This record gives sequence, structure tokens and C-alpha cells, in this order.
Amino acid sequence: MSGLVLAEVPFPPSVDDIFPPSLWESAPEWLTKFSLFLWLAVAVVLIYFLVSYRDPKIVPTKKQWLAESIYGFVREGVAKDVIGHEGLRFAPYLASLFCFILVGNIFSIVPLIQVSPNAHIAFPAVLALSTYGLYLYQGFKKHGFVGYLKHATVLPAPWFMQPLLLPIEALQAFILQPVTLALRLFANMFAGHMLLLVFTLGGFALLNAESLFLKPVALVSWAMTIALTFFELLIAALQAYVFTLLTANYLAGTLAEEH
Amino acid sequence: MAGNQTPKQSGASGANEGWAAVGYLISGIAVWGFVGWLIDEWLNAGGIITGIGCVLGAAGGIYLVVKRLGA
Repeated sequence: MSGLVLAEVPFPPSVDDIFPPSLWESAPEWLTKFSLFLWLAVAVVLIYFLVSYRDPKIVPTKKQWLAESIYGFVREGVAKDVIGHEGLRFAPYLASLFCFILVGNIFSIVPLIQVSPNAHIAFPAVLALSTYGLYLYQGFKKHGFVGYLKHATVLPAPWFMQPLLLPIEALQAFILQPVTLALRLFANMFAGHMLLLVFTLGGFALLNAESLFLKPVALVSWAMTIALTFFELLIAALQAYVFTLLTANYLAGTLAEEH
Repeated sequence: MAGNQTPKQSGASGANEGWAAVGYLISGIAVWGFVGWLIDEWLNAGGIITGIGCVLGAAGGIYLVVKRLGA
């Protein structure tokens, strides 16, 4: 295999490639590509909302309209729809979550960045932990410690069913919910990144193949890359929405009155 | 893939319940399958009890789905 492009790309990629080195020689260990993109995502969201709300008009400008629609969408479509009127106080949290994850996810198809911070398990894990902490706190505050444990695990059923159901409910509420929340986002973004990588690098591998008949197939591979890039955009938006939605859903379950 | 899980009916509620239902089924099978496996290891029953545990767990999971999400 030859070719200038391939020389710089580690092929085949290994697990170590998802743990890139620091940005420059003397940079601290935590200052990697991923932490840089993380800050970039935070900055994009922060600056966009600050700028568009700096001088709010009654007849909104285009910028302000977009910012208002995003917030309105989360406030009405997620917070109010899923949790109910009580959910409005969580709208800022849900909206920040949605915007941050959306921008972070879209990084996976932005040229030159091309990897989402959410493709690294650490970042979705922290997001899921903050949701976990929030709904546990809300639950303990509303139902009391024992009250919440009961609320989350016991449901009206015949007594002989309870031993069968209790462990399932407990596992679901206290372990599976936060774990799957993080895993879903991570796995989707990681798989998307892998998919694009496979078809891009696969194109080069085919182009460098011995057989003359295989060379044109590289074009098919790159066409797939383009198609999957659009697909990745869909997944990016969808996963941001699903994460926000499930956060709201867990909060709704926590805040519900006795069933 | 998650691509085909776009909620169709009335915005949010569809996806919520889908995830919850899958979660109950899986956790049911996981919990009781694991308990069954432990007993299996203990009694050297050769996998029968793991199977029974999985089936019991699935039953419990379905019961929960019906109870929590049904009508």
C-alpha cells in the first residue's frame, strides 16, 4: 500500500486512536482533541445564545427567532409535553442539554473536526450522571428517601408478584436508566464515526488494490461516505433529541404522584 | 440502528414508551437470568435453571410493561 494520504492515517485504526495524545508536546495530558472540541461546543452554544438575546426585539431577527424556536421547542415539546406544567422549571436544563449534545454531535460531520466529543464514553457518561443526580435529588426531595425508593420500585400488583418484580424495577430505575442513557449516545456517535472512517479508508484501500477491477469500486465507497454523512446528520439530531426526551421522561417518572 | 425509531405519534410519548418497554424486558431477563445462573453454578444443574430464570424474568418484564404502559 502506498500513497501520501495513507501514510498519515494509521491503518488499520486501533483502539488507541480514540485516545489521541495531547495537542502539543508540552501540553497537559488532558488537553486533547476531544477536550478542545468540548470547549468549542460549549463556546458555540454560549456565544450563540448570548449574541442572539443581547438586544431582543418584539419582532425577532432571524438569529433571535432561531434561538427562540430551539428553546421553545424544548420547553413546549419536551418539558411541558412529557413532564407537564411542573416540568417548566427544568426547561433551561433540558434546553442546554439538547443544544450542547446537538452541537457536539454535529461535530462528527464538520470538516476538519470530524469526530464528536460524544464518541468518547467519558462525555456522555458525565451528561448521564448529571441527569441521574438530578432525578435522584428531585425524587428524594419530593418523596423522601424511603418514599422514593418505594416509589421507584413498588407498584400495585398482587403480593406474590412483588418478589419477581422488585429486582427488575430496581435494576431498571437505579442502574439501567443512567447506563443506557450514556451508552446510547456514545454508541451511536462512535458507530457513526467508525462507519464514515471505514468507507473513507476503504476507498483508499480499494484504490491501492492490486486488481484493476477493484480500483473503480473506490468511487462507490466514497459515494457511500457522502450518503452516510447525511445519515449521520440525522442521527446527530435524533440522538440529541432522544437524550433530552429520556431525561425529561425519567424526571416525569420521579415527579409522578403515587400510581 | 436508531434511525428508524423516530417517534411518530404525538411527538414525545411514542419513543418514551418504546424505550421503557424494551428496558423492562431486558432488565427482567437480565436480573432473573443472572439469579438463575448463580443457582446453576451453585447446584451444577447445567444451564436449566438459567433458562428458567430467563423465562421467569421475561414474564415479569412483560407483566411490568402491561402494568406500567398498558392502557
